[in-house]
Amino acid sequence: MRPLPLSSLLLSALSVGVAAVYQDEVGHVDYHYELLGVPQRETTLFHRPRREDKASLLYTLSDVGVLGAVHPSSGAVVWRQFLTGNITNGGGFLRASEGEGWVASAFGRSVHAWDAVTGRNRFWMDFTGEVKDLEVMEMTEKERKDVLVLSDDNGATILRRLNGNDGSVVWEFRDASKDVPLQVSTNVEKVFAVSLHGSSGSYNIKVSVIDTLTGKRLDEIILGTKGEVNGERAVAFVGANSAAPVIAWTDDAYSKLRINVLGTKNLQTFALSDDTVSVEVHAPHLVQSQPHFLVHSMTRSGHRADVYHVRLKSDAITKAYELPLLPGKGAFSTASVGANVYFTRITADELILTDSESHGILGRWPLKTGNYPANAIHAVSEVIKKSATDYAVRAAVVTDADDWLLVRNGELGWTRPEGMTGAVAATFAEIPKSEDLAKSLEEEAHSNPLQAYIHRVNRHIDDLQYLPDYLAAIPQRLVSSIFGTDITNKGDKLLRDSFGFHKLVILATRRGRVYALDVGNQGKMLQSTKVADLTDGQTWDVKGIFVDEVLNQVVIQARDGYAIVDIETGKTTESRVSPIPVQGVAVVEGPSKKWQLAVHEGGEIDQIPAELAPQGTVVVRGGNGEIKGLKFVTESGQAVAYTSWVFSPPKGQRIVHVASRPSHDAIASIGRVLGDRTVKYKYLNPNTLVAAAVDDAASTLTVYLLDTVSGEILSLATHEGVDPAKNIECVTAENWFLCTFFGQYTLAASPSQSIKGYQLVVSDLYESDNPNDRGPLGSAANFSSLNPVDDPTAAAEPILPSVVTQSFVLGAPISALAVTQTRQGISTRQVLGYVPDTHGIVGLPRHVLEPRRPVGRDPTQAEMEEGLVRYHPAVEIDPKMVITHERDVVGVRKIITSPVVVESTSLVFAYGVDVFGTRVAPSFLFDILGKGFNKLSLVATVAGLGLGVLALGPYVRRKQINTLWQA
Amino acid sequence: MHISLTPLLGALCLASSATITLRLPGPPSLPNPNALPPATHATLSTLGLPSLSAPLTTSNTFVFRNVTSGSYLADVHCPTFAFAPLRVDVDETGEGQEHVKVWETYRGNDWDNKGEALPKDSVGYEVRVLGSKGYFMERSKFSVLSILKNPMILLGLVSCGIFMGMPYLVDNMDPEMRAEWEERQKSNPMNGIMGAATGQPGANPMQGFDMASFLAGSSKKDNSGSSTPVSYSDAVKSGGGGGGSRKGKR
Repeated sequence: MRPLPLSSLLLSALSVGVAAVYQDEVGHVDYHYELLGVPQRETTLFHRPRREDKASLLYTLSDVGVLGAVHPSSGAVVWRQFLTGNITNGGGFLRASEGEGWVASAFGRSVHAWDAVTGRNRFWMDFTGEVKDLEVMEMTEKERKDVLVLSDDNGATILRRLNGNDGSVVWEFRDASKDVPLQVSTNVEKVFAVSLHGSSGSYNIKVSVIDTLTGKRLDEIILGTKGEVNGERAVAFVGANSAAPVIAWTDDAYSKLRINVLGTKNLQTFALSDDTVSVEVHAPHLVQSQPHFLVHSMTRSGHRADVYHVRLKSDAITKAYELPLLPGKGAFSTASVGANVYFTRITADELILTDSESHGILGRWPLKTGNYPANAIHAVSEVIKKSATDYAVRAAVVTDADDWLLVRNGELGWTRPEGMTGAVAATFAEIPKSEDLAKSLEEEAHSNPLQAYIHRVNRHIDDLQYLPDYLAAIPQRLVSSIFGTDITNKGDKLLRDSFGFHKLVILATRRGRVYALDVGNQGKMLQSTKVADLTDGQTWDVKGIFVDEVLNQVVIQARDGYAIVDIETGKTTESRVSPIPVQGVAVVEGPSKKWQLAVHEGGEIDQIPAELAPQGTVVVRGGNGEIKGLKFVTESGQAVAYTSWVFSPPKGQRIVHVASRPSHDAIASIGRVLGDRTVKYKYLNPNTLVAAAVDDAASTLTVYLLDTVSGEILSLATHEGVDPAKNIECVTAENWFLCTFFGQYTLAASPSQSIKGYQLVVSDLYESDNPNDRGPLGSAANFSSLNPVDDPTAAAEPILPSVVTQSFVLGAPISALAVTQTRQGISTRQVLGYVPDTHGIVGLPRHVLEPRRPVGRDPTQAEMEEGLVRYHPAVEIDPKMVITHERDVVGVRKIITSPVVVESTSLVFAYGVDVFGTRVAPSFLFDILGKGFNKLSLVATVAGLGLGVLALGPYVRRKQINTLWQA
Repeated sequence: MHISLTPLLGALCLASSATITLRLPGPPSLPNPNALPPATHATLSTLGLPSLSAPLTTSNTFVFRNVTSGSYLADVHCPTFAFAPLRVDVDETGEGQEHVKVWETYRGNDWDNKGEALPKDSVGYEVRVLGSKGYFMERSKFSVLSILKNPMILLGLVSCGIFMGMPYLVDNMDPEMRAEWEERQKSNPMNGIMGAATGQPGANPMQGFDMASFLAGSSKKDNSGSSTPVSYSDAVKSGGGGGGSRKGKR
């Protein structure tokens, strides 16, 4: 029996139509950057996954925590594993073992091994201490290869040897002395655990020599004098899996390099050149390789290297040769073929291959990366010896533009924009209008009619130069419009299209870079520029990104300052550091234009010039997590913020999520027409927000609907049995809001029943409980949130909406909730959410999440007419609702949507690790012809009918005349 | 309750914390378990603890280690197939293998509505495949058959056949039958409609209808002799009057 397609099983639960993706639209309406993250120096390697096969793959554990394999020839991803499920900031270990079909990795407290070809897990072990280093034992007493794990368990150093097949612990070595475990290393006979011994800031190095078979300590060697090593960062390198692994460290001033062959007491010192700013050591990781290593010293203006040899008999280290100082940045990498060790040097314009034995250059290729400046940060390489003098080199290089590219004998193989991972903010922007036309039209409007006429005629004559091109393009346009192919926009000029699909996405990443993507052209990257200069380990904490369409610029507000970037060129036009940290931003409407207001920590706001004073109330989070409404009052030319209301949740509760209405929330109809032709009027108060507060002790979630003008609670609902540690998110639009959380509770109606799972609670707001009734407001033209509150003597009750709520159990947790936006709001809305478990984005149609679905009975005729189906508590993630379809979209942090010119469609863009964008049509494409409209068959049908008419015409005429004569 | 792990030789699988292995079914229900993408993984979730996740192993299993006491919801997430959710109860106080119990569960159902516990085989508990996932909508394709299936087209074809084939049928009839048929044709109201299209006014039943005689109850007049000249004159001026009358009827 073959498994049934799931959709037939889900059909009973979801009889309503779902707008799924057509296979032929893949790659046409959507685009996806399948990214890994910027590869780290220590965790990137070439490895042959099959012993008998020569082909190798490129493996990396990136700085965002994605472990993956990339095909070196095409740059395509073979497999990926998102290790923690969260975007990490560097760290982790990755090792491969020669001739083995697996790679071992470690992150945090867990150690894992993966099948190198398929990416499936071999074992996953969690330990108590944090893993500090990982190494593969190339030679064991058994047939297999084992994994060595060094971890730090509250100051105790623990070294474990794990069985390479199943991850079980072979032996464990524990050293309770308060040392800082640093690295683990092994030569063929022994295992070395290297740790920093002493007190913080002044360490020396301790090497514990451990027996490979039993895990017993054989010896302990203290290297150097006390205070020689300042910390973990001073140790440049600890080699492993070599005949003579070395440890190298430098002093603070980078004046000398101290090197020791592990297991010996002999310590050698080599002087570094004067202006060295950092040192890297490169050595092969193979037992059979010659014990040679390279010391890469970076100076302020250039880089150089020294190659050292270790004499195996005497354990003496001698300097073999040096590679001269070259200006600019460069990267070195090692590659070994059998016992031979090769060093590749990548400079700004060259790829140079040398043998570790002598300084003779084996190969030298100019870098042909086009106009792309490849400033290498680090690289890995693979060398193939074709003949005695002929070598082929390929190197995967990480550049200072956060790209990963492969250079094959100097030729650029592929480029992966890995810097787009770790995106922290993004926004849609219109393509800047052609300023010339706008300007000349304005000119014409302001001059006298005759001059305007002459100007116009001149302009038209001027436009004639484009006529030949236009005429030449007509046949191609005609053909492409019949065959439905895309008209590729020639030239680099960005133009808006009549559907509005051509927009830009401005994406800011935590590494301080800003990318511009062309949404209409499969998300093509237009430019990438470095906007924020960050030191190592620092991230760009972007709080808000705002497009100023008048000035064609993007204002990016980070925690520690802001930057203004020109949309067209990507250049930073202004950047300023803010002395007080910024906690968030609010887009406010000033008297003349919209702008982005920075909110400092604690909800404080700077004084603002009066001409920019925001209208209405600005809602901020206070220092203790409360929500404050601020009103601006102009005092002597300055707008000063005054708190008009404060909302603090009851004691024990803390606000975990606040959702406000999207900036574009068009509403087509103020009411809902029911099946019996009565109307339920929607509660459409633009000044509302939803705040979700949890009580950790009681495991409850309280959802408040607040009026942002008065701070009054319009509605509140408490959910019991909610897990406060799991994702709680809300979203609001039009006249409804929804919240998702993990809940486990017994039903109030029947206490014997309990529900457990990810829930989605949807609430619709109406003006009154009854149809055809506008509630207390009636048809009043004006309404004030403050009226009933301000006047305590008034008998009138505050006007509260009527709330209809229903909860559903979701098949999987969803996060990064968003609602589709269309131009007029006529199309129904879809709730978009990322499903972290299946790496997809689901678009839940609003009519599935309809609170008015009849419970416990079939819908009546009138309800069916409304499109209501019987309530079923479970909402499975139907694959047809997944807008990312078969794509594996990893680590989405946020989803943004944007309306386009055509009403049916909404643009969707998701970022985080991967970058994904698509167009969705929640009510189907009703205003444009999709790909399914086959113009060719239409033309053929019309032509066929025409032919039929022509052929039958004479026959019918003859027949008629005959009838007349015969009758 | 936190259970400290003592990961000494083989101590992992011993009493204090449970190891739960879920197993993918074999070929009848899952054609090729080895073809599942590496992103396939299983999760165990419960209130108050972070979700546990286990990736798909090379031996087509999901292994959860160090699972503490509690009642968990187990889900298998796979991009290509859907699996039934499971309820996993772990009781650390229990002895031996009995401290883990697994049931199949249904979303939105009562949590304590368990049914029969799943049996444990040599590897672990088998998960049930619900079906394969189809992400795409089928685009209706152009085909001649779909056009021919259209009732309008079928009606048109049948009438076309009658229109063309009838004269031949009539020609092949024997003279007596033909005369009878023609006689019947004249009184057939359908003929009137057909005749109107050909501009033959005599065939229109309304035209030859005498209201007064019908109301008087008298029988139909025999005007076969005069029918030919009327139709002839009408045919002659069909360019004007006939066209006008047709227009009026529409």
